Amino acid sequence: MENRKTEIGPEGEWVRRSQNGEPEAFGQLVERYQRRILSLVYHVVRRPAEVEDLVQEIFVKAFMGVRSYSFQASFGTWLSRIAVNHCYDYLRRQRVSRVEYYADLSEGRQRQVETRFEQPNPGQSSHEDQIAARELVAKLLDRAPPDDRIILTLKELDGMSIEETGDILGIKPANVKVRLHRARKRMLEDLKRLREGK
Amino acid sequence: MRCEEVRTILEEQPTVEFSPSVRQHLEVCPACAAYAKDWQLVSVGFRELSREPVPEASWGFCARVLRRIAEATAQPEPQLDFLEQVGKRFVYATLTLTLTLLLALMLPSSGPLREPAAVDLYLVQPEAVSARADVALGEEFPSLQDAMPLNFTNGGGRGEQ
Repeated sequence: MENRKTEIGPEGEWVRRSQNGEPEAFGQLVERYQRRILSLVYHVVRRPAEVEDLVQEIFVKAFMGVRSYSFQASFGTWLSRIAVNHCYDYLRRQRVSRVEYYADLSEGRQRQVETRFEQPNPGQSSHEDQIAARELVAKLLDRAPPDDRIILTLKELDGMSIEETGDILGIKPANVKVRLHRARKRMLEDLKRLREGK
Repeated sequence: MRCEEVRTILEEQPTVEFSPSVRQHLEVCPACAAYAKDWQLVSVGFRELSREPVPEASWGFCARVLRRIAEATAQPEPQLDFLEQVGKRFVYATLTLTLTLLLALMLPSSGPLREPAAVDLYLVQPEAVSARADVALGEEFPSLQDAMPLNFTNGGGRGEQ
């Protein structure tokens, strides 16, 4: 855990001023963390048109709740936690249209992705294969339940460590490992179903 | 090695060369071999996805966030809100009254939208009386002239004849 890291340096000062209701100081924090949060939200949501709006909502929410920040974890982790919760709510709301991303692909491209991964031993060397693998994983993530999607995104796409992931999700590292294993397993089961055309 | 152990190792290090014990297990366990192959494929997909460029925040992003914060935090005081409501109602009432008065002044004094004015009624009264006289006298005196006394007619009246 990253304890009381934010107290040191200008960031701690910005946080304190934000807690006293100074939006200008919070602006400094927005400048510092906007890229990180944007990347996190983009990886989880994967809808470029909606990412910026969601990130704005996250920062507004963070400002409203900044008084509850107690310097226990780093400010970045605290902010990422708000972002993850916001994305989780968003994904739950969007759950009815979970295959939308795949449906957005042209019919020809859909067929291409399907046939490529129906083969028993798909090659991975060519650039085309890598693109197909990317689209396949994007599709699998889209079909995954929000919990799995978030934990897999934090670990596999944002490259966070087990400890960081645990900090953001508010669970112990051992639990992160268990959840990750289950999420990966479910994803591979879904890959099988996808191949069978389900 | 058990399948679960092998799969955990595969997930943690999908691209690293496996230890002899893992390789041995994969040779005899087709389910784990398939799992390894699938997970390798998925981890390539994850790697490629993570390399995708993340869209940058558009220009003025921070300013927009601060504006939204200002909007969210701006709550009018209850007293001011009450006064504003009362003021609004007063203005609306005055406007309605003024508009009604203006309409009343602008409308023509007669026409399809209004009853005939009192002056008009007064002016048409003799005509109405004469009409009533016709009715009252009936066919015996078809015109007013016939009903008048003789000394009111010019020259030779009935009496002279």
